Amino acid sequence: MAGISTHVLDTDRGRPAAGIRIDFSVLEGETWRLVKSVVTNADGRTDQPILAPEEARVGQYQLAFHVEDYFRRRPGTAQADIFIDDPVVRFAIFDPAQHYHVPMLCAPGSFTTYRGS
Amino acid sequence: METPALTRRHFAGLGLGGAAAAASGGALAQAGPAPASPGQPGPLAAAPVSQAGLGPRLTLHAIDNFHGTPAAGMVCDLAWREGDTLTPIKTVVTGANGRPAEPLLADAALRVGQYELLMHVAAYFAARGVSLPSPNFLDRVPIRFRIRDAGQRHHLPVLFTPWGYSYYRGS
Repeated sequence: MAGISTHVLDTDRGRPAAGIRIDFSVLEGETWRLVKSVVTNADGRTDQPILAPEEARVGQYQLAFHVEDYFRRRPGTAQADIFIDDPVVRFAIFDPAQHYHVPMLCAPGSFTTYRGS
Repeated sequence: METPALTRRHFAGLGLGGAAAAASGGALAQAGPAPASPGQPGPLAAAPVSQAGLGPRLTLHAIDNFHGTPAAGMVCDLAWREGDTLTPIKTVVTGANGRPAEPLLADAALRVGQYELLMHVAAYFAARGVSLPSPNFLDRVPIRFRIRDAGQRHHLPVLFTPWGYSYYRGS
């Protein structure tokens, strides 16, 4: 399967991060155009792929993860400890036939992303 | 009052021989081109730098987890961020020990607010002859973080490869 998918994990608590809004954008010229906003489900994934296989094109894409709301809602998190600031991941589809799984692992003080599978 | 830069060098020289060496022997060790394959990692020449006793500052350490070395020559654009509006502050280049020569921000320049550090990752690996797709998976990587207490020291380590990156509030 091609296209784009993600998986948000709360590595501070060791569980999927549910209810995180993700804004998905594509670069058109010099401008990021918002394609859609989705919210992670109980498994930390999105119910539908971020980008369906038939829509995949070579280009630059962006996922903005609104984690601050999530951490503020979470019991027991001091606002002073939230260092990462709504991380944005920009990446390229260089081969539309391949799948791009872009997970994000987050805690109030750290953020990790990579090309997953 | 000493400048922050003098204070930092002074402390590094006192506290850690390895940190002092990063400015001399370490620079020599890392001066040549980085190895082109992960099978031949270059030396990690710099010992950790302690910041104990220093004033408020924001420091960066870029680590190349593909070659297993500090990331020398990484171009980074630091900007103040309000929503989607970025106001450029400065562009820095990391030295042989993966750190810019000066703190990104220090003392009064360190202000509460949102920041973005844009790291030129694809250019970094391209300069080392690493074979990358075109366009590469990662190009210019935005690192977003928030300073909530300008009276504290903030260390920002960034670990990266052509296929992923990690950053956190360090120490």
